[in-house]
Amino acid sequence: MVGNAVFRVEGLRKSFGRNEVLGGISLELHSGEVTVLMGANGAGKSTLVKIVSGVYERGGGTMTLAGQDFAPNTPAEAIRAGVVTVHQNINDGVVADLDVATNLTLDRLSGRGVPTLFNPARVRREAKAVADRMGLAIDLKARVSDLSLADRQMVAIARALAHQPKVLILDEPTSSLSSVEADRLFALVDRLREQGVAILYISHRMSDIRRLADRIVSMRDGVVSGAFDAKPLDYEGAVNAMLGRKVHLDRIVVRSSAKAVLTVDGLRIAQGARPISLTLGDGEIVAVTGLVGVGKTALAETLFGVRRPLAGAMTMNGKPYAPRSAGDAIAAGVFLVAKDRATSGIVGGFNIERNVSLPFLRRMSSLSVLKRRLERATARRQIEELGIVCRSEKDEMSALSGGNQQKVMVARWMAQSAALFILDEPFQGVDISARRDIAAKLRASANGRATLVFVTELDEALETADRILVMSEHTIVGEHRNADIDLDRLLAEVAGGPLHSAA
Amino acid sequence: MTLRDYAIRYGFIVLLLGLVAYFAIAADGFVSPQSAVFIFQSVAITGVLALGVTATLVVGGFDLSIGSVATSAMMAAAYVMVVLEQNALVAVIACLLIGALVGLINGWLIVYMRVPDLLATLGMMFLLVGLQRIPTEGRSIATGMTMPDGSVANGKFSDAFLALGRHRFDFFIPNLIPVSVVVLLVLALLIWFFLEYTRFGRMMYAVGSNERAAELAGAPVKAYKIWAYVISGVFASIGGILLAARLGRGDIASGNNLLLDAVAAALIGYAVLGGAKPNAFGTAVGALFVGILLQGLTMMNAPYYTQDFVKGVVLVVALVFTFALSGRGRR
Amino acid sequence: MNITRRLLGKVALGLAGATMLMPGAFAADKPAPFDKPGVKIALVRYLSTGDFFQAYLSGVEAQSKALGIDLRVLDSRQDAALQSDMVDQAIALGVQGIIIQHGLTESMKDAAQRAVDAGIKVVAFDVNVENPKIPQIEQSDKDLARLALEQAVKDNGESWNAGYVYVAGIAPLDRRNETWVDVKKKYAGIKEVAMFGTLDNPIANSVANQARSVLSAHPDINVMFAPYDEFAKGVKIAVDEAGLNKKIKIYSADISTSDIAAMREPDSAWAATAATNPAVVGQVSVRALAQLLAGEDPGHNVIVPPTLITQKELIDKDIKNMEDLSAKLPQFAHADVAMPAWMPNPNAK
Repeated sequence: MVGNAVFRVEGLRKSFGRNEVLGGISLELHSGEVTVLMGANGAGKSTLVKIVSGVYERGGGTMTLAGQDFAPNTPAEAIRAGVVTVHQNINDGVVADLDVATNLTLDRLSGRGVPTLFNPARVRREAKAVADRMGLAIDLKARVSDLSLADRQMVAIARALAHQPKVLILDEPTSSLSSVEADRLFALVDRLREQGVAILYISHRMSDIRRLADRIVSMRDGVVSGAFDAKPLDYEGAVNAMLGRKVHLDRIVVRSSAKAVLTVDGLRIAQGARPISLTLGDGEIVAVTGLVGVGKTALAETLFGVRRPLAGAMTMNGKPYAPRSAGDAIAAGVFLVAKDRATSGIVGGFNIERNVSLPFLRRMSSLSVLKRRLERATARRQIEELGIVCRSEKDEMSALSGGNQQKVMVARWMAQSAALFILDEPFQGVDISARRDIAAKLRASANGRATLVFVTELDEALETADRILVMSEHTIVGEHRNADIDLDRLLAEVAGGPLHSAA
Repeated sequence: MTLRDYAIRYGFIVLLLGLVAYFAIAADGFVSPQSAVFIFQSVAITGVLALGVTATLVVGGFDLSIGSVATSAMMAAAYVMVVLEQNALVAVIACLLIGALVGLINGWLIVYMRVPDLLATLGMMFLLVGLQRIPTEGRSIATGMTMPDGSVANGKFSDAFLALGRHRFDFFIPNLIPVSVVVLLVLALLIWFFLEYTRFGRMMYAVGSNERAAELAGAPVKAYKIWAYVISGVFASIGGILLAARLGRGDIASGNNLLLDAVAAALIGYAVLGGAKPNAFGTAVGALFVGILLQGLTMMNAPYYTQDFVKGVVLVVALVFTFALSGRGRR
Repeated sequence: MNITRRLLGKVALGLAGATMLMPGAFAADKPAPFDKPGVKIALVRYLSTGDFFQAYLSGVEAQSKALGIDLRVLDSRQDAALQSDMVDQAIALGVQGIIIQHGLTESMKDAAQRAVDAGIKVVAFDVNVENPKIPQIEQSDKDLARLALEQAVKDNGESWNAGYVYVAGIAPLDRRNETWVDVKKKYAGIKEVAMFGTLDNPIANSVANQARSVLSAHPDINVMFAPYDEFAKGVKIAVDEAGLNKKIKIYSADISTSDIAAMREPDSAWAATAATNPAVVGQVSVRALAQLLAGEDPGHNVIVPPTLITQKELIDKDIKNMEDLSAKLPQFAHADVAMPAWMPNPNAK
């Protein structure tokens, strides 16, 4: 690598308790270059960003900025030294209730040597200078809460650039932007690159990466798993390094199905996305994989009735299926173990028994009065079936480990027989043994229904599914039988092959 | 269970029994069937309101309008009977309809107009305080009153309606238990059964604890929330009916004290049996707790402001029980 | 409320008719400036919601009509600062006289002085503005309590056990309390065995709850002194609920239609009440102001005397509501206060 790196990270380590998140990261950023950092969830990207931006203290290693030792204790110190971060959540970067001008100069309102009195004229003058330098065409008097997401993003970046940084870190800046809005962002990034700023750009979106990257660094499990700077860039290699592959101890026996349960025809789940058509068969487990933000959850929610498709039709066991609510879907035998159990699955005020019975209260009551004995018997049976480790069915959910909590979520929906069983990221935050248990249980009980599993990690798909579908840009771009998989082709599809390199 | 668990679980009940024991010794005549009935009667109206507000607390909401719903229902009952000269049944139905309608509007504001619950019901409270004065231009309603147009209202509170406030059932001792106490007990049992033993009640708790999870489990979350406010409104209007029957006239009042006492009862209820969640049994015990305290203090000639103070102390202690000791700071 | 809208309407109609028929009537028998209609006065109110204040206003309106006065009503709705501003507003309106109805001494003292300085005549009702030039209209709370208690002594002798309803810090209740303290001193046989009271609304309901407790703690009580009708109403509910209505007598102050109904109930414990007619107080307020404007002196303290109303009277004279009360108890309908010969009586039909 070239020697003139403006920012250098060497052997950076960080642990939370016994859990090592960063295991010695080394990274260089060069002036006038965009370095893309890729990594799956939990790879350690956010921890890295937080150390560099002064939020976390590092556990070991060194950082240098322009040859000087760089060890910020607070975000403010990092910013003053010239390392500026725009965080993923746009609204963290702006104050919605203030106008644009105040937002742009907000960081000058506190600190040493700032006049006590707030001078609106001076603020507007300074804000105008900042906006002009960036070519920002936004009414400075507008309230930020009235702006579009893209404009807010621009304001957040402009605010960061008001410090005239040497290093700019953009954490998934396009995750909530449309493609037109993203183009504006790219133009801005180009401009900054020309001005000689070293940019670290964190993203999953292959289209962004293809558009901007001068170099790519892939992270996996807290270490750098690949660095690519030879032109042309090896995008698939980068994806491969990011997703990685472990040795599969027990290859599964792949089944194929004859009887179709769900047929989806021409389903469009996002503006401008190509339609999706697929068929799920009785007894088979189909995994849908793809990077974060390609529409996996949107598809799951569309099938479950909590999101409406823009176009297309679905047929369930020969009958038209158009659920208008989760209730409709459940009545039709479509169950969903939703992503992120803490916010969309677990009812914190309920114990295990009541969490398990939640969706099927109607079936567990007569004249709307609950049959508590049946409820308890069901909970006990499901605890047994999935091997949930607990003292009794009366345990609070907060007393369980993440893996056992997830088992309760799966047990909830396996208490009744489904026609279509959907699991969205069922292995997130789950230890390896619980993950194996859940996968084994899914495979053992697969007959009599179709099972659809949405996973980002390729390993999870390979371990669980009979068939693997690849999603990109809100549509399905590839299909593989999980027996003799062409992994190179699969990875290319995940990375978004040349065919789909939008904007 | 550890000692701490026992303390959390039964601490409040023990406190209640201790209080009864103390007053039994300190205040003459505290221990008697009549005295017990007095206590129930004095908390009947706020108790009914508290049971209603419990329903909104269960779905994670709050209803500040219950006090003014009760006084509006009282005015409506008086208006229907005294001015419109209708019978008791019409008056009761009118009150219940008003309660249900206010509940529907509250629910609609909160669920569909996305107004935060405290603000929506606060607005409704002001609205009702004003609305109840409009038909009579701010006068209280009593038989023989003069209307704004100069006519004299000749209707009167029907005996059947007044019986709701004054009739007493025999219970071992003749003429012992007033209707309002029976209403309180019946409603307490009903709402307790509803919340604990029916799937609707269970789902309401789920909505209050994790709305999205409840929705993804197939619950019509919006409908549940609206229903909770309808229950609250209807219960408040029942409280208003009892109030009108006891007073025998329609008094202009904001009902703020009814609201505060009811909310205090419901919040004290969180601590009963260490539930740390809104529950009908706790609410009833909470109301009783306040009633016993006030009865005892009044019998000992304590002035009214010390009673407010003591009420506040009990509430704070109950909240500490709920949030700190049980370590489950959840609403 | 003896001055009802209907009555008021009649009065107004009659007056209008009289004015039309006899255009010279004003000039003939009234001193300036009332020799012609259109004298402007303002009523600046602090309290306005409730039966009492409604009736007071109707009294003010009736007397104003009778005098051909152009009345402006400014209502501050319990906003002390606003009430003070409203006095200035009235000055700006060019009124000749101002009635200040309730308020706080602190906020109204200066405002009243400004009005006086502007050459405007001012009277104040139930608020002490500490100004020798401003007559104070008062309903005598001490007399109210005295009348009720004298009746209690007449009915029950000089020795009884009393329950007393009182909340300290409310000016009229404090003044009524002074009389109670005096009466207790005078009659050694009168013992106050319990004192309670609250203003939690609905007041009657809260007081009823307290009274129930008091009655069970003190079964020896035979007289309840509740010198405010909301208190009396609550005590009556408790007495009825405890089945003690034949054993206990209630004495109170103030009156309303529903109070009359409660007193008239068979075996009602509510024996007597003393009351000043708020409409009469309203009339007296206007009359005192009119005297000032005509250059006469109504005196610094204009006191409206209360009337004793007993259960027996209500039943004997078949009085069912406030109109009956005014019609059948003339001393209640009209007070001979601030009544020079030229002053028209709004009650005269």
